[in-house]
Amino acid sequence: MKGLHVIGVSHAFGDNKVLDNASLLIPAGEVVCLLGPSGSGKTTLLRLAAGLERLQKGQILIDDVVVADQTMQVAPEHRGVGLMFQDYALFPHLNVIDNVTFGLLGHDNAEAHRRGMKMLDQVGMSQSASKYPHMLSGGQQQRVALARALAPEPKLLLLDEPFSGLDTNLRGQIREDTLNVLKQSGVATVMVTHDPEEAMFMADRIKILGENGQILQSGRPHEIYYHPQHEFVAKLFGLMNRFEGVVADGCVDTPLGKVFARGLDEGRKVEVLVRPEGVILQSDRQTGAPVEVISTHLLGHDNIVRVSLTNGGNGKELYVRVHHSFEPELSKRITAGIDPEYAFIFALV
Amino acid sequence: MVEITPSFLLESSALDEDHKQLAGIVNQITEALDQGRAESCEDLVIHFIKSTKIHFAKEEALLAQVGYPNVKKHQGHHKSLNTKMEHMLEFAKMAPDNEMARDSLRRELVFFLMDDVITTDLEFKAFIEDKGKSETD
Repeated sequence: MKGLHVIGVSHAFGDNKVLDNASLLIPAGEVVCLLGPSGSGKTTLLRLAAGLERLQKGQILIDDVVVADQTMQVAPEHRGVGLMFQDYALFPHLNVIDNVTFGLLGHDNAEAHRRGMKMLDQVGMSQSASKYPHMLSGGQQQRVALARALAPEPKLLLLDEPFSGLDTNLRGQIREDTLNVLKQSGVATVMVTHDPEEAMFMADRIKILGENGQILQSGRPHEIYYHPQHEFVAKLFGLMNRFEGVVADGCVDTPLGKVFARGLDEGRKVEVLVRPEGVILQSDRQTGAPVEVISTHLLGHDNIVRVSLTNGGNGKELYVRVHHSFEPELSKRITAGIDPEYAFIFALV
Repeated sequence: MVEITPSFLLESSALDEDHKQLAGIVNQITEALDQGRAESCEDLVIHFIKSTKIHFAKEEALLAQVGYPNVKKHQGHHKSLNTKMEHMLEFAKMAPDNEMARDSLRRELVFFLMDDVITTDLEFKAFIEDKGKSETD
């Protein structure tokens, strides 16, 4: 199958095991994001696929051809892999077009120039072909680096935190442009990021790596966000409200109401995690648990409202995400309930 | 078209045959989508899901029989794929009237079979090789 196939890869630096029997498939034309905390092995996986790290255990194939196992290792330059790092790594002494055509070995000069200009055109940088890297903004350098990575028509593109050097405003636009270019190219792409929002935006599939270098969950962004299978995965996407309880009659009772406990044994001790947007505030209704508003924080489109449970909740504080137009008064007593779509139950050991 | 090329083989004929059969159903669904017969996808996806569940049960029994140490973890992985199967069925139901559903179904089937099912199975390939092919065939 065209794309990257990693089979049973384990890797350690000394005693520190960073990957443990990791396997994954990235078909051609798909963008897969590896998301996880520092030290979860995501960059190591990228470096192993590129051939920048010697494989210790397992097998790596690109377009159905073995490029690394315990007995052999194809050199990085012969793997047909395009790389883009967070610092872009442009050659400072070469102008833009020469940077882009640098890897076009085997092409005659005119052909390489034509290909380079075509790639620069795709990323909107053809007007800057004769400029040097220091004359470009961070966003422009990123575009040139992408053009350079794609110019040799790689079978696989590996992106390591490609947007982390950009400021927030520029980041949104650049990643959208990058995604368009990647989709047009049809290349299998692996992108490493520690930014969950970025992974959600870019990926056809997200693979979550845990701290022990294991792939914890793999799925479409929608699945990862709405159906997390591990507490770790649920918590990756920011603040969570947490309750503990016991499964009884197929449900768990929380101060905000009952939540269905599908697939969990009766009497099992569990935790219930609720996303801030899963807490429903009601200012004019008598249903739900009484809460008192502690503070509100405007985040642009949304407000984060901090409330505390008043009756029987021991003053437990909750975070609630609401539309910016809803601004409850401080100290006001309202009620709160749960939207089950944003509530996740995990067994406690 | 998906194909069980050598890198996807577990070298256990029982399991490899199952995977090939599942790949055959995926190809039937893809063909139906390509030929504008999206209304037949729902039945085909139901057949795919049933076949997948039978395969999971067979595989779990086989792994338990040969003493695979991570059999519980692998069972948990199979269980975790239920949501994906439910989503694929939803896509199949929407497919006749919805291009995005058709696209999602097509791509999800490939990821599901080749990545979630077979590539994850490759993690125990070395174990069953060590156990000897005869025990798993």
